[in-house]
Amino acid sequence: MIKYSIKRLLQSLFTLFIIVTIVFLLMRLLPEEGYFGASYDKLDEQQKEAILTSMGLRDPIHKQLGSFYKKLLEGDLGQSITFRPKVPVAEIIKDKIPYSLYFGLAAIGISLVAGVSLGIAMAMGKGKMWDKLGTGYVVFIRAVPAAVYFLFLQLYLTSVFKLPILFDIDKPISWILPTISMSLGGIASYAMWIRRYMVDELNKDYVKLARAKGLKGRKIMIKHVFRNAFVPMAQYLPATILFTIAGSIYIESLYSIPGMGGLLVEVIKRQDNTLVQALVLIYSSIGIVGLFLGDILMAIFDPRINLEKKGGAR
Amino acid sequence: MEKENIILSVKDLVIKFKLRGDILTAIREASLDLYEGESLAIVGESGSGKSVFTKSFMGLLDGNGWIDSGSIIFEGEEISKYKREEDWIKIRGKKIAMVFQDPMTSLNPLRSIGKQVQEAVELHQGLKRDEAKKKTIEILKDVGITEPERRYRQYPHEFSGGMRQRVVIAIAIACTPKVLICDEPTTALDVTIQAQILDLLKGLKEKYKLTTIYITHDLGVVANVADRIAVMYAGDIVEIGKCEEVFYNGQHPYTWALLSSLPQLGVKGEDLFTIKGTPPNLFYEIKGDAFAPRNPRALKVDFIHKPPYFDVSPTHKAKTWILDPRSPKVEPPESIKILRAQWEVVSHG
Repeated sequence: MIKYSIKRLLQSLFTLFIIVTIVFLLMRLLPEEGYFGASYDKLDEQQKEAILTSMGLRDPIHKQLGSFYKKLLEGDLGQSITFRPKVPVAEIIKDKIPYSLYFGLAAIGISLVAGVSLGIAMAMGKGKMWDKLGTGYVVFIRAVPAAVYFLFLQLYLTSVFKLPILFDIDKPISWILPTISMSLGGIASYAMWIRRYMVDELNKDYVKLARAKGLKGRKIMIKHVFRNAFVPMAQYLPATILFTIAGSIYIESLYSIPGMGGLLVEVIKRQDNTLVQALVLIYSSIGIVGLFLGDILMAIFDPRINLEKKGGAR
Repeated sequence: MEKENIILSVKDLVIKFKLRGDILTAIREASLDLYEGESLAIVGESGSGKSVFTKSFMGLLDGNGWIDSGSIIFEGEEISKYKREEDWIKIRGKKIAMVFQDPMTSLNPLRSIGKQVQEAVELHQGLKRDEAKKKTIEILKDVGITEPERRYRQYPHEFSGGMRQRVVIAIAIACTPKVLICDEPTTALDVTIQAQILDLLKGLKEKYKLTTIYITHDLGVVANVADRIAVMYAGDIVEIGKCEEVFYNGQHPYTWALLSSLPQLGVKGEDLFTIKGTPPNLFYEIKGDAFAPRNPRALKVDFIHKPPYFDVSPTHKAKTWILDPRSPKVEPPESIKILRAQWEVVSHG
């Protein structure tokens, strides 16, 4: 396992390097007026040139990239250039993390509990009422663009239940809608996957043997079917959890939650290169760590998986 | 052999399935008496209903199948009336256990084999943890698994096919059943392993005083293990008798056809015998003798009336009009005549 982890770590670093470099270069391709925002028209060419030089944007690309990586290795993510000029990026992000983390954890909790229960109910009563209702829900959530029902929820539920439209840290009641909205997609995915994998497992011979052994239906479901159905899910569970915790880009901007997701949209608009690079670095690391944890988790659950040997039996 | 005590009695059992809106009759008024301590083989080609027939003894029919009429009586209790899971739980494993055909898929790949056997031990022998583990290891040793303590912790993928089938058998034994149904226990195995597994089953039958039912289409298996043979065709038992009786003195044309298909009975240089045609379509009602359309020696009456059982001996009966005293004399095929000649020697010394 250790050997495998080291190998994976090196591969991950290489992947991160490629992602960050590409994003770095893409940001440099954006039109330059973005750096000035509203004041663009008021500045003359010389002033603009002076600002761009002070931001280090007039240096040759390879030099910019070199100094970025040099600083990164020293643990310095740089300073914001347009969003909150001269403020260290790390500080800005640090303030945002708690919001995304709390909303993310709440949403994950709700979607895991509700989604997995719904999935089990659907699998056990395949073709019956729960299955039909659940399938309807999953299809709706997956087929309709998320923006539609997010906006619908915000618009109607706030007026029906007299809930605040925007997030307010001091009013816990304003936390409800964003949390629910964030859970909807998760519930649908977990329910769909659990149902699918459980139905797959239910048709296998070992379930017949377990019945012939005299095990009760409920026990077979929990001890054999659910556990086995969970293995393929285990692989991408950490990644989805981490991503949810990292904040929902859309929900955060919809409810003006000052979290990381909303921040990314904001800083891309403002062309704050250093902040974008830092956020992309964080998000990609989360993705990579998530996948890695998923593989480890699967190896723990499934004795047939050996992460170190290549190929092998079957 | 104490042939007096009937442990399981099936009478005129009809099992139907609903498939895409159509109704299929898988078992057509089949009857069978199983005697305590005996070893019965049910033979027949694929789709003749062997598996469905025995699965109904444990309430393991698929969701779209049901017992339409007839009865199954086990130890005096009419189990064919059972509807609820709780009733069947009393039978499954505890009274009747099953060994399935494919050992590669009948074990849970994610649980150690020890745990899977132990599950049955805890469920049916009322033992807990350490005691249950001790018993499990004992059973593993009984089914011929070497180093059971080490193997206990291993997973199915670390076992070969033959070894996995031993584990499946261990699970069945751990239930301490009275009747053990072996559904093609050797079909999926290597030829060299088949004999070992059959020997193992024979040994376990003696040790645990089991009544066994073998489902197979391999007559070689039958000759090896069975006291009695039931020949099944299109959901009905067309002939049943002691092993020697059915082998050497078969009466039903289908039994003849099955025996003639044995490569051992073929003549060197000639093509092997095959049964022409396919089994009847079970979606339609079958008139007369189900085998008649494939039977070159069929009588006219075979196409009109379903034959009843005719006794050949107190232990041997067959459902064919040939045995009716009014029937014209029907000559069996050459290979059957050879077998009958041997039968004369066997039965009359």
